[in-house]
Amino acid sequence: MNPRKDLITIESLTDEDIRTILDSTSAMKEIFTKSVKKVPALKGKSVLTLFYEPSTRTRSSFEVAANRLSADVTTFTVSTSSVVKGESVHDTIDTLMSMKMDYIIVRHKHSGIPAVIARHCKAAVINAGDGAHAHPSQAFLDAFTIKEKYGDVAGKRVVIIGDILHSRVARSTSTILRRLGAEVAYMGPGPLVPQEKFTGIPRFTNWDQVFTWKPDVIYLLRVQNERMDTPFFPRGDYHQAFGVTEERLRRIDDLNLSIMHPGPVNRGVEICDAAMDYRNCLINNQVENGIAARMSILYHLTPQTQNND
Amino acid sequence: MTNTYITNATWALTGQKLDLRMGQSGDESTSIFLDDIPLYGVNGVTDAGEMKIPEGARVIDATGKLLLPALFDMHAKIEIPGCSKRESIYRTGQAAIQGGVWGMLVMPTKGFCFDNASTLDSFADAVTQRSAATMVPAGCITEGMEGNQQTPYNTLAARGVSILSDAENVTENILMLHRAMKYAAELGLTFAIRGDVPALTRNTFMHPGTTSYKLGLHGTPACAEEIGIETLIRLAQDAGAKLHIQTVSTAEGVAIIRRAKQAGMKNLTAEVALHHLLYTHESVGDYDTNFKTLPPLREQSDCDALLDGVKDGTIDCIVTDHTPCLPFAKKQDFVSAPQGMVALDTFLPAIYTQLVKPGKLKWAEVVQACCVRPTEIVMPYDQEEGTPMIAPLMLFDPTTEVAVSESIMNCGTLNTPLLGSTINGSVTLPIY
Amino acid sequence: MPTIKQAEIEQALDAWVNHLLTVTVPQATGKLAIVGLISHGDVLARRLVQKLKEADIEAEYGALDITLYRDDLAITGIRPALHSSYLPFSPDDMTLVLVDDVCFTGRTARAAMDVIFEYGRPAKVELHCLADKGGRQLPIHPDYAAFKLDSEATDKVRVRLQEIDGKEDISY
Repeated sequence: MNPRKDLITIESLTDEDIRTILDSTSAMKEIFTKSVKKVPALKGKSVLTLFYEPSTRTRSSFEVAANRLSADVTTFTVSTSSVVKGESVHDTIDTLMSMKMDYIIVRHKHSGIPAVIARHCKAAVINAGDGAHAHPSQAFLDAFTIKEKYGDVAGKRVVIIGDILHSRVARSTSTILRRLGAEVAYMGPGPLVPQEKFTGIPRFTNWDQVFTWKPDVIYLLRVQNERMDTPFFPRGDYHQAFGVTEERLRRIDDLNLSIMHPGPVNRGVEICDAAMDYRNCLINNQVENGIAARMSILYHLTPQTQNND
Repeated sequence: MTNTYITNATWALTGQKLDLRMGQSGDESTSIFLDDIPLYGVNGVTDAGEMKIPEGARVIDATGKLLLPALFDMHAKIEIPGCSKRESIYRTGQAAIQGGVWGMLVMPTKGFCFDNASTLDSFADAVTQRSAATMVPAGCITEGMEGNQQTPYNTLAARGVSILSDAENVTENILMLHRAMKYAAELGLTFAIRGDVPALTRNTFMHPGTTSYKLGLHGTPACAEEIGIETLIRLAQDAGAKLHIQTVSTAEGVAIIRRAKQAGMKNLTAEVALHHLLYTHESVGDYDTNFKTLPPLREQSDCDALLDGVKDGTIDCIVTDHTPCLPFAKKQDFVSAPQGMVALDTFLPAIYTQLVKPGKLKWAEVVQACCVRPTEIVMPYDQEEGTPMIAPLMLFDPTTEVAVSESIMNCGTLNTPLLGSTINGSVTLPIY
Repeated sequence: MPTIKQAEIEQALDAWVNHLLTVTVPQATGKLAIVGLISHGDVLARRLVQKLKEADIEAEYGALDITLYRDDLAITGIRPALHSSYLPFSPDDMTLVLVDDVCFTGRTARAAMDVIFEYGRPAKVELHCLADKGGRQLPIHPDYAAFKLDSEATDKVRVRLQEIDGKEDISY
């Protein structure tokens, strides 16, 4: 893999980059089996988590990953109450530059912010989710989870269900899966699923179409009401119309399909309680693989801070 | 009194060879008409063969150059963030002259908020002192462009305001606008407004399509502009007001205006910004903020429909929608960056390079859309002389190649996608 | 460039197994494991385990990728591809023979010992290699070397093995 400073989108990676990061993810996962779950690969390197949007899961997953590579992790707390404007991001970049960080992991509600930071920093910048744009580390952990379950991603059919419009996960995960030879379809409430002519991805609006398509993996997205200023769909019947109900779970079980979800799960909305204990529910695998995938990403990026410090 | 003679010029509209004798203003018969276009400062036109040039007279050999009336831009913002008002006026005037623009309608902005007499007076003074180009202010529709309280239209009109606009701001208070139109109609004022339904376009950043999906940016639906245009047309018709639709960006918007004109609606005019003829939403690429405009850049089919609208007269004017933005502001992320691009410095060369040269527009259409129609709509008036102002002539050398770089940009900022490219043509304005 | 050919390597492996049988095994505490360092060392380890089995001595096979423990990662910024380690047993109280293709600076062996101790606490660790190049930078020396190469510290040693390279030789 050629030296690469940042990870902003899946689109920006070569096929070799994707393969290398995925392959190394298995090697990283083996570290968890040792009694000392830590390697010295990034000893002395500094990692900063810069989250302008609250997220306990992704942030702690990155922090655990950095710790297991022996890096020093600093958490940059951005007050969630203060409205974060573009100017303050620029000011923050100046601050970060003087801190001589090696890796910056950034999440922001505006699409495109990590790319701006990456352009102005010597540090390796990892996009941990920007607006509705991209979430590449999630894409890697999803691809790895499917690869681990089925041996290969190629030829698998994955239907992503829910609020596609606002979902960076849908964009990044569909991109990596298709690059690896899988087929992807979208399903959800009409206003929340972009047209196929924009996405190049088949668009369904009900479960019958999903089952007819014969998917291998049912990938559920979180219904993000906090992103919707004006409601997109009627309150109250999401679960019945689009969720994995107990009845649908039986069918999923009969067909031996897997269930995935990027978390956190809204029980009773996207997914019924029973589905969480379903034998092919891969949600916990995703969490564990998330750490390994993020270790692999950290390991394979090369900050440009080396020569100047 | 000495005369200047221009020899071997080519009249851009017909290709006819011309020799001209140009006098100073104040000379006898200071204006003539060429192809029904009134021209300023031209003393006499004779065939090349007939004219005798007196010994010692000043002669400009215009071989290979095109002669045409200078352009009038109906939509420019001149406020340069971080610059004084006088500096903004000076720089924009320089930029306009370089781009072949002799005059412009200046949209109100925060710093140039034309909602009262004193702002208009001090602006007029500053323009007289500082600007190389004519600047006609567009009065605000509402105080502070906030969309609530009408400005003193009588007072503004008395100071030469003929166009009312709140620039990019579109009020949600239709009742206020309806009443404003009824009132201002009596004064013969024209309302220049963009078609929009703010509730549909809030928190949207570009045209919805493949690029907006890829970049995760919320799309600005075309129907918002179209509903807005319909609404404005119906309000203006009912109120009997003159209406000028600003920066039409969609094919259906053109169709709506065409239908209204065909149905016999008088006093309806419309404009398109040059960038909406040239670029599509795909130009945004990977968050290129220079292509963030209001309304957003749309599909190729929209560009084509807009160009057809210009050719058949549905769209009266091509404008710059010149909007200086600081490099700092445009370096932000796409969501935070301001909308707009600058276009005055490069206006005529860009039109020539991207529309005339490839055969998409004829010179006659350019002159119609960028000179004749804007002048008819804005009716620039010389307050001191008490006479309507008319376009001066300029020479355009289409063979010049210009590399667009920081050094040729007079307008104070660099937010143009042309930066780093080469365009054809250079302007001589004034000719003498 | 001097070359050691396949036949010599095969002979040397027999001598190596003989050393294991006569020296290492009698002195071993607990169970024996042959752990190769990826890449090439793991191939040698697999052959040695097979040869020991033919001599009725059971030894566990393991493979270690020490990339993440290299002490030059942070300095060079080079990011070699990672391979999966294979250590299906706890090294606690075992005798481990670490097998590398070339012993040079001693840094690889140091990293390998770091890895081993993160899996558990072996009773005894030995370091064996196919070729000892000299030029040590750390106080770490092989307990057994099949070939002792007489080469300057800067010389490049190339080991090729049938399983990986389709050819088998050592050139230096």
